[in-house]
Amino acid sequence: MAQGEVLLEVKDLHVHFPTPDGVVKAVDGLSFTVHRGETFGIVGESGSGKSVTNLTALGLINLKSAHVTGEINFLGRDLLKLDKEELRKVRGKDLAMIFQDPFACLHPFYRVGDQIVEAILCHDDVPKRQATDRTVELLAAVGIPRPRERFRDYPHQYSGGMRQRAMIAMALVHNPALLIADEPTTALDVTVQAQILELIEKVKNDFNIGVILITHDLGVIADVAQTVMVMYAGKGMEIGGRDVLFTNPLHPYTWGLLESIPNVTQKGTRLVPIEGSPPSLINVPPGCPFHPRCPHRFDPCDKEVPELMDRGGGHPEACHLSAEDKKRLWSQRQERRVTVPAAS
Amino acid sequence: MTETFTAAQQEAGRHSVEPLLRAEALTKYFPITKGIIFQKEVAAVHAVESVDFEIYPGETLGLVGESGCGKSTTARLITKLIPLTSGKIWFEGEDISKMNNRQIRPLRREMQMIFQDPYASLNPRKTVGTIIGTPFKIHKTEGDTKRRVQDLMDRVGLNPEHYNRYPHEFSGGQRQRIGVARALALRPKLIICDEPVSALDVSIQAQILNLLEDLQSEFSLTYLFISHDLGVVRHISDRIAVMYLGRIVELADAVDLYDNPKHPYTASLLSAVPKGYEAAGAALTQRITLTGDVPSPIDPPSGCPFHPRCPKARIVSGSDTEVPENCKNDMPPFGQLGTDHYAACWYPAGEGDDLQEAAHA
Repeated sequence: MAQGEVLLEVKDLHVHFPTPDGVVKAVDGLSFTVHRGETFGIVGESGSGKSVTNLTALGLINLKSAHVTGEINFLGRDLLKLDKEELRKVRGKDLAMIFQDPFACLHPFYRVGDQIVEAILCHDDVPKRQATDRTVELLAAVGIPRPRERFRDYPHQYSGGMRQRAMIAMALVHNPALLIADEPTTALDVTVQAQILELIEKVKNDFNIGVILITHDLGVIADVAQTVMVMYAGKGMEIGGRDVLFTNPLHPYTWGLLESIPNVTQKGTRLVPIEGSPPSLINVPPGCPFHPRCPHRFDPCDKEVPELMDRGGGHPEACHLSAEDKKRLWSQRQERRVTVPAAS
Repeated sequence: MTETFTAAQQEAGRHSVEPLLRAEALTKYFPITKGIIFQKEVAAVHAVESVDFEIYPGETLGLVGESGCGKSTTARLITKLIPLTSGKIWFEGEDISKMNNRQIRPLRREMQMIFQDPYASLNPRKTVGTIIGTPFKIHKTEGDTKRRVQDLMDRVGLNPEHYNRYPHEFSGGQRQRIGVARALALRPKLIICDEPVSALDVSIQAQILNLLEDLQSEFSLTYLFISHDLGVVRHISDRIAVMYLGRIVELADAVDLYDNPKHPYTASLLSAVPKGYEAAGAALTQRITLTGDVPSPIDPPSGCPFHPRCPKARIVSGSDTEVPENCKNDMPPFGQLGTDHYAACWYPAGEGDDLQEAAHA
């Protein structure tokens, strides 16, 4: 799974927001690495810290109201140590981002083309004519039909899928090294989602960049990511190659997620939900944050925080159970899943 | 489900059983007006266009489609929340399409709705007890409201002691349980679930789906289940109707529809769904990616609404730019293509069609 140079290395990142009700531990000791040419998927439920991690990397959180420790090394520089001006030179140039809601990200009063031109002129001192040509070229590259005419359209004249295409074009203007896509297809219909995922894949290969894909949809992750990190309550629970993670998951939370999804390809098995709800980030349970909902919890789970490391299962995970126990429990759960009939 | 309505019996008895609800040529146009004083109608959004379907007692009919295809409008029409443009609706054999608000009110006990957004569908200034108890008050039922509300709360997995709490004190999944309890209060026959799990996280989504299934078997409920999530719809539905641009393009038994889609739109919709871990890797290569977007319902394409994007039409015509004349000019009839399998297509997809290739060409 690891190919190409290391683009982004996050080491022991903590992002805490002090609030009147207590400290919100949005990200709590997170480490991962993203390589060039790889799609790194981050999956987790709402409030698991997926977005905050990436907003921190982009310097988009208010440092006055947050307490951030750790390192985010991007192309050899620690992004957390850069000042505002230096960060601005990286952001939008080598490090680009697309967001969930493409309508909220485009200014409704300006023409789509002009907004992309503006993004070019932010970092490059080129004549406007040249920037315009480059924009039309990029709009064509992301699959906007008749790009020269659509350049002059306003965002409301674009459909949801086209808006997301325009956002991707805008992210690509400076040939970034890393593209962070935060729930890029959540607001889109499945047929359009398929188009956008294919486009991101194409862009990744054509421009040879790294992609961080944040989503709550395990299906999307299974389709396009090479490496997957599962997050829960601000912590990484498991990191592995897509194929191993889906065929040989090691963490009980990952098991729970996989069993919760109704399957398109088969009917008849009853869903096995994870009991309870995700914890409040102000009051994260001691020890493993998942232990109150975990059916396999045992002695150290409520006291010691499990490290994210390889316990003999083949890839790093954060669960106190031994590799043999995990193997046994997962095969038991799979058997049970096949035998439990659906209610209907 | 109870013994009365096992899947097999339903299969056999569907045509002898009277449908709980029948919709015929259901049509809804929303006018677009121009002018301030003299509003003249300049165009209309064809939200729902001659939709026919039946819902049988005890079954779950799934309704899928992309946003703007008319799923929710259909739900609103059959509950008479908005007036019909034309068409007829029978509920338990009674024509309700011409009824006015007062006549329809007693029937509302039998038809309830669960909405998508549990945050927006609960009044933030009312306690849970009041919210769930309101149906009893409106319909002036006898009995101890508080006790009945607490029974309901217990049944849907809420702590009855939280009777006096406000919606903001509950999590998203719990709020959806409140919505379910409210829908269940008057023991309706039909519950229309409009995207009931779309706003929830997967682990919570599974809890709610299991709850809906349990309640269905306990109270012999009938569901119309609307969702854009094809995995969820397949999981819960007995039969599924696929909508595109205001029309039902395919209606079939759930298993049959997923294994053997006849309409090219259904085929591409199903192929576009990320297949998840059980088919990881294979999915990208098998996908039929449609070009373009859904056309505007203000000015829907002539003939078959899907023809501008249809990969099958391009196979039939043998050209990437041409489509057959009948696709372009005439709306295909809703024809029966198998046991309980209907599709509106001139050239239903068969074995060996390479739709994927055609779509990519």
